[in-house]
Amino acid sequence: MGLQSKMLQQAELDKAIEAVKAIRNGPMVLQLYMDICTKCGTCARQCHVSQSDPDCYANPAMRSDRLRRIYNAERSVLKKVLWSVGLVNGNGLTARDLQAWAKDFYSCSGCRRCAKFCPLGIDNSVITRKARSILHSIGLTPGKISTIQQFDDRFGNGEGISPPTAVEIADFLEGELVEQYGVAIKVPIDRKADVLFVTSGGEILSYPETLMGCAAFFHAAGIDWTLSSYAFDAANFGLFTGDDAHMKEKNRRLHEASMNLGVEKLVIGECGHAYRVATQIGGANYWGKDIPYQITSIFVLAAEVIRKRGVKLDSSQNPMAVTYHDPCNYARSTGLTEEPREVLRACAGNFLEMTPNRDYNWCCGAGGGLAVLDGGEGVHGMDSFHKYRMTCTGKKKLEQIDQTGAAYVAAPCFNCKRQIGQLMEYHRREVAVGSVFELVGKAIVFRG
Amino acid sequence: MYVAKFICILMPCVTVAVFVAGMVGRLRNWNRAGAARIPLFPTPATPWQMWKRILVESLTFGQLCDGNRSLWIGTWAFHLFLFMVLIGHTMLITDLNTLWKNLGFEYGRADRIGAAIGGTAGLVLLVAAIYLLTRRLSSARVREISSLEDYVSIALILAVVISGDLMRFSSYFDTAPVREFFPGLVGLQITAIPHNRFLLIHLFFAQVLIMYVPFSKLVHIPGVFYTKSALYRC
Repeated sequence: MGLQSKMLQQAELDKAIEAVKAIRNGPMVLQLYMDICTKCGTCARQCHVSQSDPDCYANPAMRSDRLRRIYNAERSVLKKVLWSVGLVNGNGLTARDLQAWAKDFYSCSGCRRCAKFCPLGIDNSVITRKARSILHSIGLTPGKISTIQQFDDRFGNGEGISPPTAVEIADFLEGELVEQYGVAIKVPIDRKADVLFVTSGGEILSYPETLMGCAAFFHAAGIDWTLSSYAFDAANFGLFTGDDAHMKEKNRRLHEASMNLGVEKLVIGECGHAYRVATQIGGANYWGKDIPYQITSIFVLAAEVIRKRGVKLDSSQNPMAVTYHDPCNYARSTGLTEEPREVLRACAGNFLEMTPNRDYNWCCGAGGGLAVLDGGEGVHGMDSFHKYRMTCTGKKKLEQIDQTGAAYVAAPCFNCKRQIGQLMEYHRREVAVGSVFELVGKAIVFRG
Repeated sequence: MYVAKFICILMPCVTVAVFVAGMVGRLRNWNRAGAARIPLFPTPATPWQMWKRILVESLTFGQLCDGNRSLWIGTWAFHLFLFMVLIGHTMLITDLNTLWKNLGFEYGRADRIGAAIGGTAGLVLLVAAIYLLTRRLSSARVREISSLEDYVSIALILAVVISGDLMRFSSYFDTAPVREFFPGLVGLQITAIPHNRFLLIHLFFAQVLIMYVPFSKLVHIPGVFYTKSALYRC
């Protein structure tokens, strides 16, 4: 997984210890999580990593305890006394600890399923993100994730696409669309429009079917839309690495592009965490309550159009049994569960639910940026991170999909889609994995 | 005699001081950091619904009912009967004789009813606490996340419960001297110290437990309202 097994300097250790101490100044929830966990073990029963094979077993409370122990040891004099006689659990921070952190906190996908069940309202993903931010500050972010961040800093997108290349991509997709539909469907870029559409840049490159489906939908619904070469990519790895400054900077691009293009709506495509960052963390929280545009999801927009019969969809074009995977960032972190189903039901005749679903859904096994990690050292005895995702973290999702008997899994998040696609391939299942708007694209009927 | 004086007179002052100072410090730390919002959907629509949900979850432990059924039964019984026992104990330091009289109970009868309910609660509490400890020791997944702190907490609770039960069941225990002593102590009017071995043991461990609360995971009792309001804030 490209974890740098670099030698840590004392200065870096001190930096990490200072960061742990700083939890005393907030955020409040993190402080509470350090103080009140009773170690009841419920999270381990509801975590997809814990519920996989015993040899790749991880326990959320134990993972969070890595941070908690240091925090307790660095606390007030009284806590220190209690700690020194063992009445409070804790220990000092060593370089070996930090290496273990790097593996442990990148085996948690931050899906927040445990928070649904924790009787004390503890959300382990907050602890994971804090630990990751400390790892990031001393350069222990997994190589592939930090490379994507570096590309982001330089190009504004994780793929290193320059504005002229973005325009070329849009032109190319226009050609593809004409070929596929025989209709002159536009993929406008950098135009003044009503709607700015942003989605994961990685998905545009490696799974263009989704964007093409969206373009077909916009065309059929008569929505005046545009892409932006400046804000080509809505993915925000700052959420994964715990780098708040990066998260804000990446969000600023979306804001600036929306302002410059004078749009009414900033519409986020099929990307779970992009939608979460744009609506829950960034957006109005960063740029003030009176931002002159509305931030929404392609699903909310499409569901509205479908309700008003603004597009014609022929669900017989997608006759196979389709199931829907609720990405954690939609279901648990932004509450987007019904609109995607409305869209899916309108364009696929045979829709099946997974069990459990919505806010209780199991994680795909690669949330929190894990989907981009493949090779290298792996985690906890696995020879590669890919194998770890396939045999450990993805196990619950595989079982769930098998149970539905569906032939197509619609995963409206590039992260989940990559993971589930690889899962089906690795375990030799005859199940196609794609996006919701790929199905919309197939079902769409153009008038006249 | 010195031991009895220490446990009944000096130690309560220390206990109150430590508990109050510890709790104020902890709450001040939490409040200083400012309320956070990390919504976990579906979230309640109004503040009223949010508090209703937090109240219901705190009273029923509903999430555990879904996520960990056996623990739910054990821990819910534990907390419920702990709460009952605490209510019962307030009878010892408040003058309820007048109230009972007005309700038409004789003092002796009210005492016997209290003893029956309190005794049952004490036994259920014992069983539930033993269950919690056994579970911690027997389940590999819970054992691996347990530290000394977890064992000290449950051991203290067990010590308090066992000494309390022994006090009640070993021989007839007249609560009248206790009823006189503690309200007296609050008003700095020290009367005769009640003599009972089990009472002294019970009081000692109970006070250690109270002092331990603000500095250990037992602080989850007020803490849970903070964490849940961060998750459900609309």
